[in-house]
Amino acid sequence: MTALAEATAPAATVSASEPAAITVEGLTASIRIAGRWFDAVRDVSFEVRRRETLALVGESGCGKSLTALSIMGLLPAGIGRISAGRIVVDAVDMTAADEAGKQAMRGERIGMIFQEPMTSLNPVLPVGFQIAEALVEHRGMGRRQAQARALELMELVRIPSAAQRLDAYPHQFSGGMRQRVMIAIALACSPKVLIADEPTTALDVTIQAQVLALLADLQVREGLAVLLITHNLGVVASVADRVMVMYGGDVVESAPVKAFFARPTHPYSEALLAAMPRVDRPSEALAPIPGQVPTLPDMPSGCRYQSRCPLRIEKCAERPPLNPLPGAPEHRVRCWVRAP
Amino acid sequence: MTATAPTTGEPLLVVRDLAKTFKAKRGWPVPKTVAVRALDGVSFSVAPGEALGIVGESGCGKSTVARACLRLIEPDAGIVRFAGVDVASAGSAELRSLRRRLQIVFQDPASALDPRQRIADALGEPIRVHGIAKGQEVARSVARLLDEVGLPPSAARRYPHEFSGGQRQRIGIARALALGPDLIFADEPVSALDVSVQAQILVLLEELRQRRRLAFVFISHDLGVVRHFCQRVAVMYLGRIVEEGPVPAIFEEPLHPYTRLLKASSPVPDPERAVAMNLQEGEPPSPVDPPPGCHFHPRCPFAMDRCRAIAPALQEVVAGRRVACHLFDQPGAAILASGQEKPESSRISP
Repeated sequence: MTALAEATAPAATVSASEPAAITVEGLTASIRIAGRWFDAVRDVSFEVRRRETLALVGESGCGKSLTALSIMGLLPAGIGRISAGRIVVDAVDMTAADEAGKQAMRGERIGMIFQEPMTSLNPVLPVGFQIAEALVEHRGMGRRQAQARALELMELVRIPSAAQRLDAYPHQFSGGMRQRVMIAIALACSPKVLIADEPTTALDVTIQAQVLALLADLQVREGLAVLLITHNLGVVASVADRVMVMYGGDVVESAPVKAFFARPTHPYSEALLAAMPRVDRPSEALAPIPGQVPTLPDMPSGCRYQSRCPLRIEKCAERPPLNPLPGAPEHRVRCWVRAP
Repeated sequence: MTATAPTTGEPLLVVRDLAKTFKAKRGWPVPKTVAVRALDGVSFSVAPGEALGIVGESGCGKSTVARACLRLIEPDAGIVRFAGVDVASAGSAELRSLRRRLQIVFQDPASALDPRQRIADALGEPIRVHGIAKGQEVARSVARLLDEVGLPPSAARRYPHEFSGGQRQRIGIARALALGPDLIFADEPVSALDVSVQAQILVLLEELRQRRRLAFVFISHDLGVVRHFCQRVAVMYLGRIVEEGPVPAIFEEPLHPYTRLLKASSPVPDPERAVAMNLQEGEPPSPVDPPPGCHFHPRCPFAMDRCRAIAPALQEVVAGRRVACHLFDQPGAAILASGQEKPESSRISP
């Protein structure tokens, strides 16, 4: 939490000895298209500790949201499945759990917020009721007690005049306030892990800054491990501790945030940054990435970026491993040319 | 180009004191009619071949500007003059010829294209309707347009759903180009696209601007995109322009407190210059019942008594730069404001 750390909170200390709040090992998720299964997420491994933010970055179709849905056990049955790998949350293996076990984990140990709060909230129920619902379901609280806790949560996410707005409906809230309601619901049962899937993409920039600041503050207070899914490298630079760049379902680069922006090494990471118009410096010629992301059935074997890569060599027909850079064991890159 | 070309130095589009109030019904069970002032005296001009950016947050009226200028909605008051012709009072025949020269590109091309119409027809229809080409000539014009926006000729036989978002936006641009316009209103044309595709479309628009000497009114919430594409920018807040000026200057040193807040809130891919996140609360007030005086005063760290009562006028404070803010009322005030710490490090808090 780079920016906020200076402003309000002591630097978030990530202790290496503490066990990870969430560990994902070799996760492969597949999607069925026209009767055949295709790997949409390939062999993804990471861990996130308490008070740490890991950003999962990439463009549409890179597998970042699918990774989140896999963790939550929310892949649509018959269309998506986890084909390999383990997801361990708070020392419990999610992948081994049955549906009832997963249901107990969701909300209790992992909370999730989505891009568009209006599609996640029920339009015909008051927000206080929707926040309290999680507590009634998971904690077995009585209505009255749950409502009182809902009010505390609304104050926690800084919704102004929370007491008066407990009985208000989602449409009476602005976009930023609705996202705060979603955060309150996600945090209702004090989970260890929060998955935030494009939490500020639908918001205006000034509101985005407020919601990011709120998330950072709550993370420190509640000791949350945050998996932030975003396409916005600016947001990553502002709030993440570590970055993983995904392309075509593969993690192509993984690094601490400062190392990543100081030396983006995978040709795709480099191209993403070169394609981004910036407000903080004079405009240079933009370098668009030629072509587009191939569809899953058309994905090349080997390195999946090879069809758009200017550095392509023959060896790219084989899938490169995620190799550490010399002298930087935490900075790993999946590229035959840049990290052979 | 049938109508007389504007003389050099003359703006192509002049907008003066444009106003639009929408009536909406709010409340239940007894709805009340409320007035939403979407545009409150908006003035700007665009020169031939120039790209003017309009930035602001949702609900500030930036899309309404485009629609009112094109008379897709009727403005309540104000003047829109395009190449010397008064758009507001133009009769239907005159409006038709104006629309050849004034086009619009929307954010979501999927909803702006007829899903049951092949691309050849989507592009050919305006060409036929306006009598620009007939018969075989139409197909040739369509092929030329597709080529100009970087699509293969085979695209003509296909339907909108067969294309990706970026390709569909190319089709949207081709359709706007079909009638050979002089000015295009581009309403968030790249906001729905991924970064790499966004860059492709921005490069295409820049090529078109230079090759065809096209003028743009480029509406966007993304300051980075506007800095890249536009020569001048107008910043809107709740129906009013609060700052206007040339592109490098306005982003290097924003003057209006709202422009500063926008810049400080825009994330940049550099961990050393993280966005000035703070726990400052406050959202743009509802345009239904905007605060009196300067609309920004409830969120402004520099608000004075005057700001709560009197709306500041948009006036020139430095050569070529106009700001609507009481901080700049006295001469020399601009220097005072610019002498403060750099906006990216300043934490704007109440």
